[in-house]
Amino acid sequence: MISYSLADFKPIVPELVLLFFTFLILFVDFAIPKAKKKINGFIALIGVVITFVVVLSLYGSSWTGFNDMIVFDKASGFVNVVLLLTAFVAILMSLDFIKREEINFGEYYEILLFSLVAMQVFGSTYNLIVMFLAVETLSIAMYILTAIKRNGLRSTEAAMKYFILGSFASSFLILGIALIYGLFGTVDLLRTKELLTGADTLHTWIAIVSFVLILVGFGFKIAAFPFHAWTPDVYEGAITPISAFMSIAPKAASFMALMRLLVVGMFPIQVEWTKLLWVIAVFTMFFGNLVALWQKDLKRLLGYSSIAHAGYMLVGITAANSLGYGAVLFYLFGYIFMNLGAFSVAEYISKKDVEGCLIDDLRGMGYKYPLTGAAMLVFMFSLAGVPPTVGFVGKYYLFSAAVKSHLYWLAVLGVINSAISAYFYLNIIVTMYMKGGAKEEVVSFPSPYLRAAIAIGAVGTILFGVAPGSVLNAALSSIVF
Amino acid sequence: MNQLHFPILSFITFWPLLGVFILLFINRKNETAIRIVTFVFMLIDFLVSTLLYFYFDPTTWQPQFVDKIPWISSLGMNYYLGIDGLSLFLVILTTFLSVVGQFSTWSAIKEKVKEFNIVFLLLLTGMLGVFESLDAFLFYVFWEFELIPMYLMIGIWGGPHRVFATMKFFLYTFAGSVFMLVAIMATYFLFHHYTGTYTFDMFQLASHPLPHHLQFWLFLAFFLAFAIKVPMFPFHTWLPWAHVEAPTAGSVLLAGVLLKMGTYGFLRFNLPMFPSMTHALGILVIVLAITGIFYGAVVAMVQPDWKKLVAYSSVSHLGYAMLGMFALNSQGMEGSIMEMINHGVSTGALFLMVGILYERRHTRLFSEYGGIAAIMPRYAVLAGVVTLSSLGLPGTNGFISEFLCLIGAFKANIWYGIVVAGGAVVSAVYLLMMFQKVFYVKTRNVKNLGLKDLDLRETVYMGICVLGILWIGLYPNPLLSRMHVSVEHLLQHVNSYSKQITINVDKNLTCNKLAKINVISRGGL
Repeated sequence: MISYSLADFKPIVPELVLLFFTFLILFVDFAIPKAKKKINGFIALIGVVITFVVVLSLYGSSWTGFNDMIVFDKASGFVNVVLLLTAFVAILMSLDFIKREEINFGEYYEILLFSLVAMQVFGSTYNLIVMFLAVETLSIAMYILTAIKRNGLRSTEAAMKYFILGSFASSFLILGIALIYGLFGTVDLLRTKELLTGADTLHTWIAIVSFVLILVGFGFKIAAFPFHAWTPDVYEGAITPISAFMSIAPKAASFMALMRLLVVGMFPIQVEWTKLLWVIAVFTMFFGNLVALWQKDLKRLLGYSSIAHAGYMLVGITAANSLGYGAVLFYLFGYIFMNLGAFSVAEYISKKDVEGCLIDDLRGMGYKYPLTGAAMLVFMFSLAGVPPTVGFVGKYYLFSAAVKSHLYWLAVLGVINSAISAYFYLNIIVTMYMKGGAKEEVVSFPSPYLRAAIAIGAVGTILFGVAPGSVLNAALSSIVF
Repeated sequence: MNQLHFPILSFITFWPLLGVFILLFINRKNETAIRIVTFVFMLIDFLVSTLLYFYFDPTTWQPQFVDKIPWISSLGMNYYLGIDGLSLFLVILTTFLSVVGQFSTWSAIKEKVKEFNIVFLLLLTGMLGVFESLDAFLFYVFWEFELIPMYLMIGIWGGPHRVFATMKFFLYTFAGSVFMLVAIMATYFLFHHYTGTYTFDMFQLASHPLPHHLQFWLFLAFFLAFAIKVPMFPFHTWLPWAHVEAPTAGSVLLAGVLLKMGTYGFLRFNLPMFPSMTHALGILVIVLAITGIFYGAVVAMVQPDWKKLVAYSSVSHLGYAMLGMFALNSQGMEGSIMEMINHGVSTGALFLMVGILYERRHTRLFSEYGGIAAIMPRYAVLAGVVTLSSLGLPGTNGFISEFLCLIGAFKANIWYGIVVAGGAVVSAVYLLMMFQKVFYVKTRNVKNLGLKDLDLRETVYMGICVLGILWIGLYPNPLLSRMHVSVEHLLQHVNSYSKQITINVDKNLTCNKLAKINVISRGGL
């Protein structure tokens, strides 16, 4: 007999708070006229901020609920922070943008917050079924958000691709979960760890197979090679705030879940999974960076670059030590500022009803908009991993975790990638500052909220590059599993 | 130890950032004000940095003027600045060349003046940080950070091929230094493995070098990063591009300061942290250095472009610095450090010379010039002194350093000395040819006839460089005495590890050939 008490609800307080605002938008949306849909955005913004405060005040406590189906620990607290910050900036980017693009439906923020709740759950569970439910919820939300521009050709195409490949990946995920359940009669990762520890060879091998299947599902979410194919199309096709949101939030939750899966559930087969992840990490980094060299579209380039960055983070997991796991969390945190910043700049120069954004459009931007140009310069150097930016500090810890585990080649291949990536990031700076005047006047999208998003990105990138201490310590201490 | 009880190093490092902040509030149209403010900030920075010279304690090798604050303490990272005899003059050289370089841009840079001066101030901070950091992580941060302003300086204010040049410069250096990053990490963890401490403190890392077999790859990784920066043959291909395309001030700083980061890196990392590998692989470095001395000189001889000639002469001069350093005796090493400083002053001045004429004629081809001595006498005198110092005439600074390097080479192995002495002749050839082509032969172009001689500003900054050249050339003792203790300490540290190899060689006859050759070559010491 399953019974619940009030204590069971403690670990899902952040989710509940956010869910409250999600429903609030749903009802408020009926009451306001089409011209004032911005109110929905502000409610979403307030909801995110309040949830953020709640998470911070709960940070440090450790609860489980609903028969250990959901946990709230430091790690999920940290991921919540990452998710909410991402959502905050993404909403800032959306406020004026969706009005310009004539898609200011109430559903937009509604679905955004729904997906956020799903991600929160995804990062806070050891239960494979709950993970699956969360991943499906967030995926469906993301499919809709990708297609939110209903009459945009690129947008619908992207959503279709995303949907088909995503469903495909999910089926692998559920098959893997089913195998685990068949083997051990449980879907709880803590229990799996115990059972796997003493398992015979056959059981171990089936567990490895199921791990590979689950990895397909996760690999799709984090856009790891060879499950990355959707990324560039979707990033290019979706509206910019959604691309930006998608480049971090689902990945943050997926990395958290992946770490719980690997570090806890699959701990007994660590030797095997590190080998596999080594290969995947290397291919992901090289693929993302090499293909990015030939990109002409800024959003597409950021898509490939996000594949590469997923590769860097996989290096941290492959290192399989607490420094590496902490570094992944810190990197996700830093990635918010630099990547959302870069997407914000892409939005800043975007034209109405044009999904893409050519790099060549940035010509002369460094002089026409000095502050935005300077911010973009900071973002590019940070993505390339040049100090004193947060991108450098993050990469430093990822690779040093690999060195700590004596994976010298992995670290060397990682830094080689860093050097390759410098070329295309710098190329953007070259376009902004060094390539003569603009072919046509650089257009800009003057939204104060968007400017705030860019400013947050720039300040965060430098601030956490110079003084990473507190966040880094939080990330390192989060890894207690 | 901080004898001034005032964070002077932090002050001179971050003072330029205050200048950046103030520049942000000056209207971009008011170019004179921007120039003056930047100049004043740099001048104050220079004047304050000369305090280091006066208060420096020459009797200790310990770091002085130390600023140390925990930064990311859980991982052993400190904000740790300090200088010793190896870095003292490089810091002063940096602030000095910045003032001179900025002064030279008053007429040269006419576009985007505000941005230029901001970038220049940022560059100053980055460069100073590299020479002052005693924490390996902090060192790396500054080492990479300084690339950004230089990249922008070449790319925005450079010549016609600036984009290619700046990309090549950045990618080349960046690619080299990421290997250094991995090596820093590996040293950090291996040091912990052997001593139980997590630290990035350079002196501490050097105090217990890792076992010989672990040093090989680490030495090579650091070597790659620094050899690209120096640049040593065959890693020099970025240098002619970057030097030629950079604006004059950029070339001055690039040659005068940025290249020294490479040689300084060898002194701070390769030698003290991997001493036994320094002995084992030193011969390779020496061979590359000697090759560079000749290669740079010979290639410089055939350049039709004045600035390219100066650029290749850097390859040659830095070869002396590397040779002197890896001779591993006190004359050689002091010569090496002197060469760094002298090359900074002399080659910096050479680039300024090129810049002065380029501003007037907008060409750097020798075929366009000739007979300038008669048209611009004041310029010719100053340029003559600079040229002579660059070829190492006694009485100028270049003589002191090349002579010391040569003695060092002779002491290490007589054949090094004999070979390199020939190099000194070659460098005299190309520099005199250069001077002749520009100043003496008959004027080839009527446009040269109306050229104006130096104005007051140009005379001042060229004159100061010449004063520096003569001062070091005639009375180098204040410099040498301040670096002596640090150099001796470093050498003693490095050479104490050569005996260990010798013992290994005796015990184990199948040791690799390199070490054997090396030990034999050191036998003469």
